[in-house]
Amino acid sequence: MTNELSQDPSLVRDFLVESEELLQQMDQDMVALEAAPRDAELLNRIFRGMHTIKGTSGFLGFDPVVQLSHRTEDVLNALRRGEAQMDRRCMDALLAARDQLGTMLRDIEQGGLKTYHLDPLLAELHEAQRRCAASPPLGEILVKRDVITPGTLGALLHEQAASPEPRRLGEMVVKKGLATPVEVGDALVRQKEVAESAAAAQTMRVDAHKLDELINLIGELVLERNRLVQLSRDCSLGKLAHADLDSFLGQSSARLSFITDELQSAGLKTRMVPIETIFRRFPRLVRDVARNLQKEVRLVIQGEDTELDKSMVELIGDPLVHLVRNSLDHGLETPELREKSGKPRQGTIRLEASQEGDQIVIRISDDGAGIDPDRIGRKAIEKGLVSAERLRLLSVKEILDFIFLPGFSTAEKASDLSGRGVGMDVVRSNLKKLNGSVDIETHLGAGTTVRLRLPLTLAILPVLLVQVANEIYALPLRSVVETAQVDLRHVHRLEQSQVLRLRDETLPLIQLSQLFHTEPVSECLPGSADRAFSRKVVILSVGEKRVALLVDHLIGQESTVVKPLGSYLHGCPSLAGATISGDGRVRLVLDPAGLLAASKTASEIGRKATA
Amino acid sequence: MSVSSQPENRKASKPLHSTSPGELQLVSFHLGSEEFCLDILRVQEIIRLPQLTRVPNSPYAMDGVMNLRGKIIPVIALRKAFALDRLAHDKQSRIVVIETNGSQFGFIVDSVSEVLRIPADTVAPPPQIGRRRQDYVSGIGKFENRLLILLDIERLLTTDGMLGGAAPPA
Repeated sequence: MTNELSQDPSLVRDFLVESEELLQQMDQDMVALEAAPRDAELLNRIFRGMHTIKGTSGFLGFDPVVQLSHRTEDVLNALRRGEAQMDRRCMDALLAARDQLGTMLRDIEQGGLKTYHLDPLLAELHEAQRRCAASPPLGEILVKRDVITPGTLGALLHEQAASPEPRRLGEMVVKKGLATPVEVGDALVRQKEVAESAAAAQTMRVDAHKLDELINLIGELVLERNRLVQLSRDCSLGKLAHADLDSFLGQSSARLSFITDELQSAGLKTRMVPIETIFRRFPRLVRDVARNLQKEVRLVIQGEDTELDKSMVELIGDPLVHLVRNSLDHGLETPELREKSGKPRQGTIRLEASQEGDQIVIRISDDGAGIDPDRIGRKAIEKGLVSAERLRLLSVKEILDFIFLPGFSTAEKASDLSGRGVGMDVVRSNLKKLNGSVDIETHLGAGTTVRLRLPLTLAILPVLLVQVANEIYALPLRSVVETAQVDLRHVHRLEQSQVLRLRDETLPLIQLSQLFHTEPVSECLPGSADRAFSRKVVILSVGEKRVALLVDHLIGQESTVVKPLGSYLHGCPSLAGATISGDGRVRLVLDPAGLLAASKTASEIGRKATA
Repeated sequence: MSVSSQPENRKASKPLHSTSPGELQLVSFHLGSEEFCLDILRVQEIIRLPQLTRVPNSPYAMDGVMNLRGKIIPVIALRKAFALDRLAHDKQSRIVVIETNGSQFGFIVDSVSEVLRIPADTVAPPPQIGRRRQDYVSGIGKFENRLLILLDIERLLTTDGMLGGAAPPA
C-alpha cells in the first residue's frame, strides 16, 4: 500500500500540508462551480489540484488516494474539455470524492491509511462522467468498448475525411469486418441515449396544482370561444338585433380579456421555482469561507420560498455568490476587531428574498464594517475616473456607484475570493439582463446591504404610453412615480444639464430630443417668454434616484408583451425593448436607468465641449 | 453562353420551388434604374410597407422596425445601404423579408418585378470595379437582355456599417 518514501516524515508532512490546502481550495471552488458550472477558471483550478494530489500521492505510494484522485481527475478533465456537463449528481459525487480524500489525509496524519471501501464512490464517479457526457462521436464509443483500437479509428477517420462522398463511420467499420453490425448498432443506441439525457437537462419540475389551474383556464377559454362562434353564426344568419350584438360582443370581449390575463399569469407561474434552490448552497459556502478566513459568521436565510422564473435562477446565482463573498471577505471584520468595536464576535450575514409589488427583492446584508465612501472616492481619483473637484459634488450614492465599474476594487491585495475587481460590474450587467437593478446601502461601522430587484415576470410589462414629438413611447409602469404638470420656469441649468425643481426636490430633467438627436417640438429654454410654460413631465424612479422626463402627451396605460430588440441596436442603452401596441404598431420601451445614464453622458459631453 | 427565354405559361407548369440542377430561381426587384435579384429560397415573403417605428441612434441604413405577425423585425432601406438618393415610398414600394441565422430582416425596395429562373451558367462573377457595392454582389446574370445583379444578402447584412455604425459619407 505504501513505499519506503512514505516512511520519511518530512516528505509526508509536506505532502499533507500541500494536499490539505489544495482540498480546501477545491471545496470552495466546487461549491462556486455549482453556481457557475461553466467557469473555465474554476474547472481548471480544481482539475490541477486533483492532478497534483494524484501525482504526489503516487510518488509516496498512497494507493487509495491515487485511485480516487485519478478517477475524480477523469471526471474533471471531461468537464473542463467540454465533453461533459455538470449536473447535481455529478457535483455530489465530486464533493463526496473530495471529502473522502480529506478523510484519507487525516488518517495518514494520524497514523496511516486504513482500508477503504471505495467501490461505490468510484462507480458513482464513473457513472457521473458517463451520464454527463455530451453526445460522444460514434468512433469514440467504439474505441471505449474495445471494438476497434484508437489506431484503427485514426486511420478510418482519415479515410473518411479524404473520401469525396460522405461516408458513415459505422458502415465503414462493418464493411471492413472490424465490427459486427450488432456492435455498431449497440454503439449508436448508446450515442442516442447520451444525447437524450443531455436534452433532458432542459426540463423542469412543475407543481401539479399549477398545471391544473392552467387546464381549468383553458377550459374557460374553450367555452368562451364556443360562445363567440355561436355569436358569429347567429349574426350571419341575421338573428341578432344590433343592440344585442353590441352587448354580447362587449360581454364576450370582457370575459376573454379576463381569461387571457389569468391564462398568461398561470402560464408564467408554471415556470417559477422557489428561490430556495439557489439559497440552499449558501450555508456550506459561508461555513467554509468563514472557516478559511478565520471569521465567525452566522448565516440567516429568509423568504426562501419566494418564487421566481426559472431562467432568472441561473443568472442570479453568480451575483449572489459574489456578493456573499464580498460580505465575508471585505464586509465582516475578524472576531478580534469586532470585539474591540463592541460588536459580538460572531458576524451575521442575512440573505432575504421577498416579493414587493411586481418585483422580487433580494437583500444581502451584513453587520460588518460598511463601505467607506472616502476610500471609494480616493480609489476613483486614483484610477482617473473622476477629478477631485467633481468628487466633492457627488452624493454618497453616486460615489458608491463607482463600485460597479469594471476593474474597480479597493482590496489591498486580491485575495482568492474577491477583490479581483471583476465581480460587481458582472453583478450589475447580469441584473440588467433580467431587467432588474442593484443598489447599495451602507453605514460605516454598522454594515452593508446590497439590494437586488428583479421583475416578477419577464414577459409582461404594464407600461405608460407617452407621446414625445411625433413618436409614442412606453415607460415601464413600475418605474413611474407620478406625472405632473410643471412650469418651465422652474427648470434651471446646472453645468450642462437641466434640472427641475418640483416641490422641494431637484430632479434631473431629461429631454428625449436631446438624447435621440431628433428635432424638439418645442424648445425647453428657461426664460423663453414666448412659449407656454406649462408642460407635462413623468417622474421616474431609477434605483433610489428620481428623474423627470419631459413629454408632450400622456396617452394611457397598457399591459403588453415585451419583445427584445435584436443585437443590431447596440447604440441605444436607453431602450429596454419594444412592445406591440393594441393597434399593431411597434412601440419602443424606454429604460429609465439607461435614460439617466445617457443624459449624464450627454451633459458630460456638453461640459467637456465648453470646458 | 445562351440566354433562355421562358414565357409565362411554361413557368406556371412547374411546381414553385423545384429547380433543375444548374438553374437558379430568383426574385427580382428594382432600386433606381437597376434590377437586383435574390435567391428565392432566402426570401420569406414580400409585403407592402406598414407603419415603421423609428429607432433612435440606430444604424444609418435602418429605417426602423416593424411588427411582422407578432415579431419585431428591423427594416433596412436598401437605397440608403447602396448610397442612392432617398426616394419617397409609393404604392410600388415593398419590403422583402428574408430569414438568416434564425432572425428575420426586411429590406425596402422600390418595386418587385417577378420570379424568374435562369440557368446558373448565365451568371458571371461581378466585375472588378472599385465600388463598395461589389462586396455583396455575388454575380451578374443576363436574362432577356436585362442585367440582373445577384445580391449576397448575408454578406450585405454583415458588412461593416450596415447594421451598425454611422452614415456613409455622402
